[in-house]
Amino acid sequence: MVKRKIRIMIAKPGLDGHDRGARVLARCFRDAGFEVIYTGCHQTPEQIAAAAIQEDVDVVGLSCLSGAHRYLFPAVKKILDEKDADDITVIGGGIIPEQDFQVLYDAGIKALFTPGATLEGYRGLGPREHRGKDMKGSMHFFK
Amino acid sequence: MKATEKVVPVTEQKDVDWDKYLAAYYEKPKSSLTWSGLDVKEVYTPEDLPLEKYNDIGDPGQYPFTRGIHRNMFRGRYWTRREVIGMGSPQDTHDRSKILVEEGGSGLNTIADIPYEMGLDADHPWAQNEVGLTGVCITNMYDMETMTADIPLDKVSWSLITASTVAVVTMAQYAAVAKKRGYDLKKLRGTVQNDPVHFRYCGFRPACPLDLSVKLGADVMEYCTKEMPLWYYTTVNLYDLREQGVTAPQEVAFGFLIARLYIDEMIRRGYKVDDFMQRFAFYVSCHIDIFEEVSKIRAARRIWAKLMKEHYGAQKASSQQFRFAVHTAGCSLVPQQPLNNIVRIAYQALAAVLGGVQSLHCTSYDEPVCLPTENGHTQALRTQQILAYETGVTNVSDPLGGSYYVENLTNKLEEEIYKIMAEVDKVGGMYEAIRTEWLDRVFEKEALTRQKEIDDLDKILVGVNMFTTEQETTTPLGVQRISKASVKRQIEMVKKLKKERNQALWKEKILALKAAAERRENVLPYMIEATEAGATTGEMMGAVRLAYGYPYDPIEIIEAPF
Repeated sequence: MVKRKIRIMIAKPGLDGHDRGARVLARCFRDAGFEVIYTGCHQTPEQIAAAAIQEDVDVVGLSCLSGAHRYLFPAVKKILDEKDADDITVIGGGIIPEQDFQVLYDAGIKALFTPGATLEGYRGLGPREHRGKDMKGSMHFFK
Repeated sequence: MKATEKVVPVTEQKDVDWDKYLAAYYEKPKSSLTWSGLDVKEVYTPEDLPLEKYNDIGDPGQYPFTRGIHRNMFRGRYWTRREVIGMGSPQDTHDRSKILVEEGGSGLNTIADIPYEMGLDADHPWAQNEVGLTGVCITNMYDMETMTADIPLDKVSWSLITASTVAVVTMAQYAAVAKKRGYDLKKLRGTVQNDPVHFRYCGFRPACPLDLSVKLGADVMEYCTKEMPLWYYTTVNLYDLREQGVTAPQEVAFGFLIARLYIDEMIRRGYKVDDFMQRFAFYVSCHIDIFEEVSKIRAARRIWAKLMKEHYGAQKASSQQFRFAVHTAGCSLVPQQPLNNIVRIAYQALAAVLGGVQSLHCTSYDEPVCLPTENGHTQALRTQQILAYETGVTNVSDPLGGSYYVENLTNKLEEEIYKIMAEVDKVGGMYEAIRTEWLDRVFEKEALTRQKEIDDLDKILVGVNMFTTEQETTTPLGVQRISKASVKRQIEMVKKLKKERNQALWKEKILALKAAAERRENVLPYMIEATEAGATTGEMMGAVRLAYGYPYDPIEIIEAPF
């Protein structure tokens, strides 16, 4: 049986232009056998949600280093839910203080990655059984 | 009042792995490469530094300035202790700036937020949730007045970090406020970052079309040379390039080639380098490999002096000197075990000072978590003060000069830098390397390599890939938040200004600016007048963009109001 590749969209919502992390991730996921779509900078939550649905992705990875994650991440998740796309897993990364984790978790964000996260940790997203197991450093998987 | 005693529980004993302990006793470094991957020997001897080569090094203050631009360096004056500040509204930024002045900072340094760098007004639909998050948003003259209120502009040196094409607007706004308050522009000291070409690599590409980046960069240089001769009209930003993940020699090579785009434009306008190079400066990263960073700075000084003298025919020493500020490497900081960042920053600051820095910003240890808190900011300033006042590093100029290793590594970095410059030449020069996205591909490749080095343990990051602990649950000093109320007030003020200004005068001035841009004139004098007439950042940038055939709004959702 041929397993369908996991499709992930890496997106940069809002005005933030710090895209080194997002670009590295896009390459890393591709090298790890994912199908990857990278939106580039300056996308609205509406644009990201629409593209995620159109591209039929499994995961949307949002990157924001400006501090606007508190507003932008929940906005994307909310639009996806409204469009009956709540099966798409939304994760995020950036300069995100722990004090914000609960807010984002309550909004439906499934995992957060902050500086110092290793690529190996991200790949753990693939095989579901690795999720949330032995996560050290900067990976925070909500159970 | 008695201090409350906090009882710290003793960590529960675990079984010690004594074999691991023994292995640690005998452990030696896995790699002898520098951070940038240069191979170095286990020892350097006089053979690595023949004395007859000393002329190519020179004394501090002597061409080619390898050892520093002044003979007495810090005995003459400490480096400027300048912490970057930008948060919330212009008022919030003003207040934090004054706190650091009171704590012993010696230079003001404010940074623009993302909407401002993009050239968007605070009331732009895309800006409203992002105003003040990463810097300060100056939409009009009144914002600039608020930020600079009650600060004597003739007694301070103010560094304005607006790097994008909007630097020209920042300069106009600062000049307009200074004029209104009665200051002589010719006597003002400070710096504007004004390096729009590099800023396209910081995610600001829609705001920084390549031709406009070179044109507006040179406009600021030209205006300041004539009207504000003490003002450093650019700090070409090598730091941001390094933050993309490139190596130390790449940082210098790419940065110098970008700097040459502006210089060549000034020459095209009919100037000679000795007419304007006295106020040209750079902004450099200092990463964690102390000797490599010091050698990089020394090599940069020598290359720059030779380039200016031999290629551009600069005669004055001040046009041959590589003057620079350092920002310790933000990308080297991690949220794991965050107090360790203080140590990283201190080593990086040490490298900057051993390299002969003119002005220093130490990052705050909480930056991988949030904007610097007030305590984080103050602590960063304290790191500088310990270095300046306690360690004795200020006593002697270029203390590592003559070290067999450092001189050899300086030569090696110089060679590497020339090699990388030659690669860019091969693809048709820097303008072509940018236009064809050759440089984008280099950045992407290097960033991936840096990540893999950490993943594969080729580079050690304490707390990340070695000596890890359970994730800390809190940041020790809390989190800096932006006051929503003050940002909202700022946005309301912008809307009010747009309604209540003298519309006829505003329109006359903004159209005059657009016409000047169409005639390809220097736009800065027109921007000062437009600013005085109530024109905003977005409107002035929009007028110039339209004249060059670009959409009024870099986000392409609002139309020109004129």
